[in-house]
Amino acid sequence: MAAAGAVAAPLRPGRAWTAAYDIRLALPLAAFFLVFFLAPLALLVLVSFYADPGMTRFGLDQYARFLLDPFSLRVLGATLWLGVEVTALTLLLGLPLALLLTWAPGRLRGLLTLIVLLPLLTSVVVRTFAWIVILGRQGIVNAGLLALGLTDTPLKLLYTEGGLVLALAQVQMPLMVLPLVTALSRIDPNLADASAALGAGAWRTFLRVTLPLCLPGIVAGCLLTFAAAITAFITQSLIGGGQMLFMPMYLYQQASSLNNWPFAAAIAIVFLVAVLACVTLLNLVGRLSRGRAQA
Amino acid sequence: MTLHRRSLLAGALTLGAAQAFPGLSHAQARKLVFATFTGSWEEAHRAVLVPAFRKSSGGDVILDPMLSVDQIAKVQAARANPPIDVMLHDPGPALTAIAQDLVEPYPVAQSAHYGDLIADAQEPMGPAPFFQIVGLTYNPEKVKTPPTSWADLWKPEFKGRVGITNLNSTLGTGFLVEIARMHGGSETNIEPGFKALEALKPNLAAVAANPGALAALYQQEQVDIGPGNFNAIQILKARGVPVEFAAPKEGIIAFKTTIHIVKNTPVKELAFKLIEAALSPEVQAKLMQSPYLIVPTNRKVAIEGEVAKVLAKDADELKRKSVFQDWAAINRSRAAWIERFNREIRV
Repeated sequence: MAAAGAVAAPLRPGRAWTAAYDIRLALPLAAFFLVFFLAPLALLVLVSFYADPGMTRFGLDQYARFLLDPFSLRVLGATLWLGVEVTALTLLLGLPLALLLTWAPGRLRGLLTLIVLLPLLTSVVVRTFAWIVILGRQGIVNAGLLALGLTDTPLKLLYTEGGLVLALAQVQMPLMVLPLVTALSRIDPNLADASAALGAGAWRTFLRVTLPLCLPGIVAGCLLTFAAAITAFITQSLIGGGQMLFMPMYLYQQASSLNNWPFAAAIAIVFLVAVLACVTLLNLVGRLSRGRAQA
Repeated sequence: MTLHRRSLLAGALTLGAAQAFPGLSHAQARKLVFATFTGSWEEAHRAVLVPAFRKSSGGDVILDPMLSVDQIAKVQAARANPPIDVMLHDPGPALTAIAQDLVEPYPVAQSAHYGDLIADAQEPMGPAPFFQIVGLTYNPEKVKTPPTSWADLWKPEFKGRVGITNLNSTLGTGFLVEIARMHGGSETNIEPGFKALEALKPNLAAVAANPGALAALYQQEQVDIGPGNFNAIQILKARGVPVEFAAPKEGIIAFKTTIHIVKNTPVKELAFKLIEAALSPEVQAKLMQSPYLIVPTNRKVAIEGEVAKVLAKDADELKRKSVFQDWAAINRSRAAWIERFNREIRV
């Protein structure tokens, strides 16, 4: 944080002018957001306050229907929990990868970066279909287990929550690894040397120096992964199947199959608020951690 | 080339005007937009219907394949200036579209082919150019004796081998109604259907999110048997996937797939001509050939080939063997059924 302050200092005399200029630069994007994001969102809120599917009178019926129904709340809970599981797994697998990528020498680093970025270059649908092939009864995993004699009958992996978490973790991995790499590469390598010189072992250095300093990256990665995992309609429906109900499918069912726009809109708003709450919580953790990292 | 501020401004204004008043340039240039279904339907329509329409009308058409429910959502969102001119609907969504006043009545009096359609296909709000047929699909390498009845799905030998879809699709809903009927229920008494589904649970390997995902599961050998669409499996068969269709003895489920002129379309005449082409015996006869095997509704088309072998030899036999469900009654309860399915069918 001290380094950032040093860079900002020379700009300070012109700050008033810079600020005005900055705002004007943001105007086109702001206009775009207003027309294509805020206006539809306002419309969505409005629709959610209709009391009946025919949209004739206003009322809080849709919200009452969702919030007073244990089933709907369970769907919301299951969706958020799915996000937590996927984020935890992605972090567990992504952090070592990001460390490896940061420490690797030039050429290997290029190769690893390519491997991390590769999934982003193929569509989510393709990646998800690959997982159907991997997790299926005749898939690679089951074929391997059968060949090794670890099981007699193919395990059910597809259409299970475990399979879904695994597939989502792979599909969203770049969203975790890229912020982690950015945060890790910003850490001054001298700090690790200093820690070693002061007698700390590799683990201690990692836990007391590296980890706290890359916490902002962890928080950013977790935010992106969490948001992507809970809204991943395609992967959820193809790997999870038609009986595992999460919020995106619930919403789609009401809007498309049943034409019940007000309830679908209310589901969307409840989902939005719940996700915003989670994001705020994570951000708070991030801010606290930044304070800790400075101390 | 030099760019002057003034010429740039003039250019920008022209572009802006074209955006603000699309009618200026689009009035003559607007192509007909036909929302067909995805998959085998799109392939078939692109190969057969589109060339026939171009020849008969001289106009052009864009295929914009999507689900019925998505067609309705799109037209509903822009009633005055619909982005689609011709809609294709399963029976449930067709009734919704008509109820919401999104479609024009078909100009029956001007039609050359309407009178030749079999009686069940004559719908004044939008005739049926073909039927979709639902029966049993199975993997012949795993299921040695071809199934003959819906009841076969409950056999203990198929433990963990049956695949169905949820009720979002016409296929899933139609299947539920049929098994309700098998146990003494009906469109208005679905209870036996849910009881039967409950009993089917040990056999269920998968509840797919949509018919397309279900078909893919045969390819992965994730499921070996289940309710399936006659036409949806033809694509898989053509690609070498071991999958066959069997007509259950209780009757095949026939879904009238209807084609509609969208209200307020600027190209109504072209829309009418496209539908006429879809009803014509020439197009229907071609669509009945392999690999499309689309069931014709025009009485002048002699049923032959695979369709005759597996389904029916003529319109009368087709009518005798088919079950047409009451989708007006189904639509009234569908929301409640979907809700119940969400809650009860957890595998």
